[in-house]
Amino acid sequence: MSIDISVKIGGEAGQGIQTVGDILARVCLKYGLYLMAINDFESRIRGGHSFFQIRISDKPVNAPSHSINLLLALDKKSFDLHEKELVKDGLCLMEKIDAPLKKNIIAIPFIELAKESGGKITSNTVAAGACLALLGAPFGIIREIITEGFASKGKDIVEKNLNAAKAGYEAAGKVSFKFAFKWKASRPGGILIDGSRAVALGALAADCRFAAFYPMSPATGIMAHLASVADDFPLVVEQAEDEIAAVNMAIGASFAGARAMTATSGGGFCLMTEGLGLSGITETPIVIVNAQRPGPATGLATRTAQADLLFVINAAQDEFPRFVFAPGSPAEAFETTSRAFHLSDKYQVPAIILVDQYLNDSLFIAEKDLKAPGKVKRFIVGDTDLKNPAEYKRYALTGSGVSPRAVPCNGKAIVMVSGNEHREDGHTSESAQIRIDMVNKRNAKVVKMLSEMNPPERYFPRSKILLAGWGSTKGAIREAVDILRKEKISAGCVNFNDLWPFPAAAAKKALLACEKFYMVEQNSTAQLGRLIKEQTALSYSGAVLKYDGRPFYPVEIADGIKENLRKKS
Amino acid sequence: MVSIKDYDSDVENKWCPGCGNFGILAAMKDALAAQGISPEKILIISGIGQAAKTPHYLKCNLFHALHGRALPLATGAKIANHELTILVNSGDGDCYGEGGNHFMHAVRRNIDLTLLVHNNKVYGLTKGQASPTSDEGMVTKIQSEGVISEAFNPLSVSLALGAGFVARSFSGKAEHLSKIIQEGIKHKGFSLIDILQPCVSFNHVNTFDWYKKRVYDLSQKGYIPDDFNKAMEISRMWGDKIPLGIIYQKEKPSYTDKIIKLKKGTLVSGEYSQKKVQNAIHSQ
Repeated sequence: MSIDISVKIGGEAGQGIQTVGDILARVCLKYGLYLMAINDFESRIRGGHSFFQIRISDKPVNAPSHSINLLLALDKKSFDLHEKELVKDGLCLMEKIDAPLKKNIIAIPFIELAKESGGKITSNTVAAGACLALLGAPFGIIREIITEGFASKGKDIVEKNLNAAKAGYEAAGKVSFKFAFKWKASRPGGILIDGSRAVALGALAADCRFAAFYPMSPATGIMAHLASVADDFPLVVEQAEDEIAAVNMAIGASFAGARAMTATSGGGFCLMTEGLGLSGITETPIVIVNAQRPGPATGLATRTAQADLLFVINAAQDEFPRFVFAPGSPAEAFETTSRAFHLSDKYQVPAIILVDQYLNDSLFIAEKDLKAPGKVKRFIVGDTDLKNPAEYKRYALTGSGVSPRAVPCNGKAIVMVSGNEHREDGHTSESAQIRIDMVNKRNAKVVKMLSEMNPPERYFPRSKILLAGWGSTKGAIREAVDILRKEKISAGCVNFNDLWPFPAAAAKKALLACEKFYMVEQNSTAQLGRLIKEQTALSYSGAVLKYDGRPFYPVEIADGIKENLRKKS
Repeated sequence: MVSIKDYDSDVENKWCPGCGNFGILAAMKDALAAQGISPEKILIISGIGQAAKTPHYLKCNLFHALHGRALPLATGAKIANHELTILVNSGDGDCYGEGGNHFMHAVRRNIDLTLLVHNNKVYGLTKGQASPTSDEGMVTKIQSEGVISEAFNPLSVSLALGAGFVARSFSGKAEHLSKIIQEGIKHKGFSLIDILQPCVSFNHVNTFDWYKKRVYDLSQKGYIPDDFNKAMEISRMWGDKIPLGIIYQKEKPSYTDKIIKLKKGTLVSGEYSQKKVQNAIHSQ
C-alpha cells in the first residue's frame, strides 16, 4: 500500500463530527480511493467525547488503524485524548485559541472563516476543506461532493458551504504535510455501506414484508434503514411496545404468510427468548438480528462486543433447531441476511444473525455489487398443492421433519398451530409418544440444515499457525495475518460466518491443517474456542481476547499472537 | 349457510364441569354461524390459561401462543393480512396481568380484532391464586389475608385509552354474549368484550348465583352507548348491580386503515420487485 492514512475527527456529541466525516468519506470514494471508518460515541445526545476515524488507502482496507496521521480536534479534549495516537510528523488541526500551541498543532479560525462564508453553522465544512487541503485533494472534487451533498437544501446553502470549504481549503493550503499524497482519479471501488444498511438491504432482497422492533443501540439503524425505504415496498415497519411484542408480532406476521424479522441487542434478545422458543416449537420461520454490545444488562450501550455467541445458540428453554450466522463484513451481512430468511422459511426454524456495534456503525466499501435475486422462492403450500386440503395437518410427520406449511384462511386447509406440545393436526397433546415423535421430528431437520452450512473462510490455510475468529473481526484478523507474514511468521486464519448448526467436519478439517490455532474474539472467555472444543475435540493453544467495548486493531491482534508465541517458546 | 354444528371439534374438552367457559364457547359458535363466517375463514389466537384452550374446542384456524402475548401476535398477523377476521381468547391473568402492556398498546393501535376476555377473577390453571381483577379482600392460599390491591378495571382503562368498542357480558347469558360478539366482529377496530364468568373450582365469591342476582342488560334500560362520560361512569359500577352490554362504541379508522399502502392490498399479496431492491441498494 502506498497510501495508508488515518484521519480522526474528535469532538463533543452534537458538534457535527458526522458532517466532516461524511464529506471526507464521499470525496475519497468518488475519487476511487478505498476507505473504512469507525464511529465511536458515548451513550448521550450532547457533550462528552465522540470520534469518527477514517482510514484512506489505494487498496481495500477492512479494519481501523491503531495510529493516526491527522487529527481534527473540534475541542481541546480531543487533542489531549488522542495526541498520543499521532504518528511521527502527524498533525493536529484545531480551532485558533489564544494560548501557546505545540508544534504539531495547526490552528485555523474555523468559526471566523465560517462567519465570513455564510454563518457559524458552516464551520464543519471549513474544517473538512482544511483537512482535504492538507491531504492534497484537488478542490474540484470537494466542490462536486458539497454541491451534491447539500443540493436538497437549496442553492443558497450549497453556495455558503462551498465558500466555507474554500476558506478552509485555502487556510490550510500553505501548510506542508508529510502524508499528503497525489490524488489520481479512478472509478469508485464499490458502494459505501455500513452493516446496518447491509442487513436492511439483505432483508429487502429476501422479500421481508414485516419488521417489528423496539429501539435499542446498536440495532436501531437496521430498522431506520428499512423504514426509510418501506414506502416503495409491501413492507410495514412497526415500532412495538417492547421486545416481547416485537418478536411475537413478527411470529404472527410470519404465521399469516409474510416474511418477518426483528432486530435488537443482547438485552432485548433476552426478552425475546420465550418468543424464540415459540418460533421453535410452532415451526414458524422468523429472522432475529442481535446487534451485540457489551453486557450483561445495560453494559456499554454504544460499544462493541462478540459475547452473545453461546447465549444465542442456547437461548430459550429445552431444545429445538435454529440457525446462527455472524457475517464478517457489510457485503456478507447482505448475503447472510437474505440467506437467513431463505433457510428459516425452508426449514421452518428461527434464524439468528449476530452483528455488532462495530459492523453496524462502521463504513466500509463493498467491492462486489450487492445483487437482489430475480425471484424469491417461498415454501408455503395452498389447497392446490394438497391431496386433501380438508384433512390438512400442519405438523404431519415426514422423514425430513419439515411438514408442508399452509397459512391461515387461505383455502380449505385449516391451520392449527400451538406453542404447547401438539399432535400432527396442531391440537395440544400430553401423550408421551406424541411428545417423543414431535421432538424427533423437529430435531430431524438438523441433518439437512447442516448440509446448508458454509465452511469457515480460510486465508493462508496451510500455515503453521492459524488465527480463528467469527463475525465482524474478519477484516482485522486477515490484516493481522498479513502483518505476521511480513515478519516471516507462518500464519493464516479461519473465519466463521455460519455458526449453528456447527459445521464441525469443515472446522476440524481447517484446523487440523495447522500445528496450533489461536482464538481471536471480542469476549473474555473465547466462546468460539469453547464451541470448537465441544464440537471437534480440538483445543486452541491460546487466545487474543478484547472486551473493552472497542474494535480490534490489526496490530493489536498481531502483537497478541506474538505474545502467545513467546509464552510457548 | 353456516351452522353451529360446522364448528364442532372432536378434541377432548379439559374444562371443569360447570365451567363458565362452556357458555362462552357456545356463544362464540352461535355468533360465528349467525355471521356466516365458516370455520376456514376465521382465525382465533389465544395466549395461555383455561380461556386460551378455547380455539381447540371449535373448528377454526388457530394459534395457541404464549402467556400474555396473544395480542402482539394477532397484531402481526392482522398487519400481514388485514383481510383476516381475528378473535382473541384471553383470560384476566393472561390479558390484564402477563399481557397488560400489550393490552394497553393494542387499544391504542385500534387494531381491528375482537378480544374476548374470560374474566373469572381468579387464576384457574395454576390453581386458585388472585388475578388482577380479583376483588379486594378475596382470600386465596397465597393471598391468605385477602387481596390488598384494588381490582383492575378493564372497562375504565380501555375507555381512558380511547377504545372504540367496550362491552361486558356474562357467560351465563349465552344469547346476550353471542349478540355482543357479533357486534364486536362487525365493529371496525379494536373491540373489547370483558366476559364475567364463574370459576366453579376456585372462585367461591363471584359464583353463578352471585352474578345472576346482580347483572342486568343496559340496552333494556334504553341505554345508548355513545356518551363517553356516561360510559366512564357505567364502567365503574360494581356491586349490587352490574351492567352488561355495549358500554361505549365509536367507529374510527383502525390501525390497518391508517397504513396507506394497505389500501392497495394485503402485505402477503404484495409483489416482490428485484428492480426496486436494486434501486434501494444504489440510492444514497
